[in-house]
Amino acid sequence: MNSIPLALYLAALVAYMLHFARRQPDVGRAATTLLVAGALAHTFVVGMQTMDVGHVPVTNASSAISTFVLLLVLAYLYTEMTTEERAMGAFILPLVVALQTIPALHPMAEEKADVLHGPLFGIHVSSLLFAYASFALACVIGITYVLLFKEIKAKHLGFFYARLPSLQVLDTMNQRAIVIGWVCLTIGLVVGAIWAGQAPSYDPRVQAMSLQDPKIFVAIVCWAVYSFELFAARRIGWGGRRAAYLSAVGFAIVLLNFLPISYFLTKSHNF
Amino acid sequence: MHLLLVGISHRTAPVELRERLDFQAHGLDNALRALGDRNVASEAVIVSTCNRAELYAACEHVEPTRAAIADFVGDYHGIDRATVTPHVYGMTDLDAARHLFRVAAGLDSLVVGEPQILGQVKDAHTAAAAAHTSGTFLHRLFHSSFAVGKRVRTETGLGAGAVSVGFAAVSLSKKIFGDLKGRNVLVVGAGEMGKLTAMHMKSQGVHQVTIVSRTMAHAARTAEAIGGASAASWEELDTRLSDADIVITATGAATPILTKAHVESVMRPRRNRPLFIIDIAMPRDVEAAAGEIEQVFLYNIDDLQATVRENLARRASEVARAEQIVSEEVDKFGQWLRSRGVIPTVVALRQRFESIRRAELDRLASTLPADTRSRVDDITRLIVEKLLLTPTEQLKSVTDAETVGTYSEALTRLFALEQKPAAIEASDEQSAERRERGDRRVEPFIRPSKRL
Repeated sequence: MNSIPLALYLAALVAYMLHFARRQPDVGRAATTLLVAGALAHTFVVGMQTMDVGHVPVTNASSAISTFVLLLVLAYLYTEMTTEERAMGAFILPLVVALQTIPALHPMAEEKADVLHGPLFGIHVSSLLFAYASFALACVIGITYVLLFKEIKAKHLGFFYARLPSLQVLDTMNQRAIVIGWVCLTIGLVVGAIWAGQAPSYDPRVQAMSLQDPKIFVAIVCWAVYSFELFAARRIGWGGRRAAYLSAVGFAIVLLNFLPISYFLTKSHNF
Repeated sequence: MHLLLVGISHRTAPVELRERLDFQAHGLDNALRALGDRNVASEAVIVSTCNRAELYAACEHVEPTRAAIADFVGDYHGIDRATVTPHVYGMTDLDAARHLFRVAAGLDSLVVGEPQILGQVKDAHTAAAAAHTSGTFLHRLFHSSFAVGKRVRTETGLGAGAVSVGFAAVSLSKKIFGDLKGRNVLVVGAGEMGKLTAMHMKSQGVHQVTIVSRTMAHAARTAEAIGGASAASWEELDTRLSDADIVITATGAATPILTKAHVESVMRPRRNRPLFIIDIAMPRDVEAAAGEIEQVFLYNIDDLQATVRENLARRASEVARAEQIVSEEVDKFGQWLRSRGVIPTVVALRQRFESIRRAELDRLASTLPADTRSRVDDITRLIVEKLLLTPTEQLKSVTDAETVGTYSEALTRLFALEQKPAAIEASDEQSAERRERGDRRVEPFIRPSKRL
């Protein structure tokens, strides 16, 4: 089911790369069209699963990744349309394709546990996934910022100089993505805590919910990193390149939480 | 119909001569009107910029037109023909078309790939159209040249990258700060170089330009010369530095006026807002080590010149691709040109058929009642039309010049088309119009109003 969007994302990736290298407007439009088609197909897949199990498919790592990828694509499409800047697609799409490969190759059955019903659980998961999608965007924008920064600083104006938007624009986009991500992350964590307090305690996973659980612990670390970037970094002069690096580090932690910890380590979130 | 180009450019003529042959001097429309009054060619367009003066003409006979143009240019500018002749180049047909396409693409410009020339070529055509000196032929030619210019711009990097130090500084500023509106520019030093760069920045719509100089009076004078700039005293340098986004240093000082430590101390209150320092002074005004500070971008005149050289080299490497596009479009234009070669034959053939039909109809006219006459008229017209439909389309689809010549000659002989040249000329007005509309289909020979 997840392989049709994957194929479209792959085609879009090729088109975005071509557009980035050759800068032909037609190829750029084709890339966007393919990505929109992929997003539609993906929305259909996720929608079908939602109808099937009665909630958004997020209760195992594969389907959570699939939903996350969809949110990331939507967030990217939003920035592309508001900034009319396609250069970032060449950097986002590799991540999209890599992540989407997991649910496409390794689908898992969606669990229909009672414990997972109710609005709080839905808010918890969807706001966290949206936060992670924003952080992914911020990470990619941060990487491009560093690439451009290095070219200008080294006085070698080449490939990226000709293709990327200005440092100022990249910095603003990065900041905006971090703000949105941080707000969603905060909501997700708070709602998660409230939900855990109310959840039926006979479930062993609910019993395991504490700050010592790796998934919860790393999520808190994430929150700390992004809070620092958002509120403190610029005050102590960590603008521009350092903020961009922070965005990359933050998302590395998010990915760590998302993949290995979800699959192997956590006791509280292994749905 | 032939295409003829006569012109001079920066490649063939010195600037003094180009100035004397500037058609813009007294208005391009005046020049076009004067040209039109002389009836030198069927169509003409004048492309006149500071680097070239070129006359494109569509004519039946090249040599007399060339002479007439030379006379016109000599008389119009009041210049002795002997002084101009050695600098003039002339081209015909596809060579002339290729030249125009290369001009529009920026391949023939002083700075290869400069963007203004396409607009100038467009203006030249618009002026000629307004003065009614250009028609179908040059219309097609110039529109093809616009397409070449556009393709070269979008498909190659011929126009990419700044190729002057001033533009390099502006384009770098834009890459760092995005929009330059709302940015503060500080110029240290009140000399000529600083003033020029500041004016360049000012034209990009920066928020504020401030001049700092050791002598306040110099700073004030330069600020006034730039217009809308303010002056500040040397003591204010540090506060001005922390306000500025872009700093241009151009003093005559023998030792650096901004050391790394100095810049570092300024960066702290700025909370590391990016600072772009352009050091155009010789010897340098800013310690090179200042460029190591986070969020400080330091470029000196050599760095800017190096990026300009890089851009020029990159443009040069795009020339081959641009020439390829020019060749493709020349081929297309050539096809169109050749397909036009049969038009006189087609027109003559139709006229021959029509005159026969009309003669027979006239002979019958007296013996037929009115309603039958109009029906016979309709039927014969339809028959002639249908008979001619296939050969006309076949003729128009031929694009190679040799076949066109052979076909035309065969038809001319078979139908003795040359015997009545008077008739052909008489309807030349009409057929010119028909040529425009009737490229693909056969027009009825007789318009309803002309029926018997």
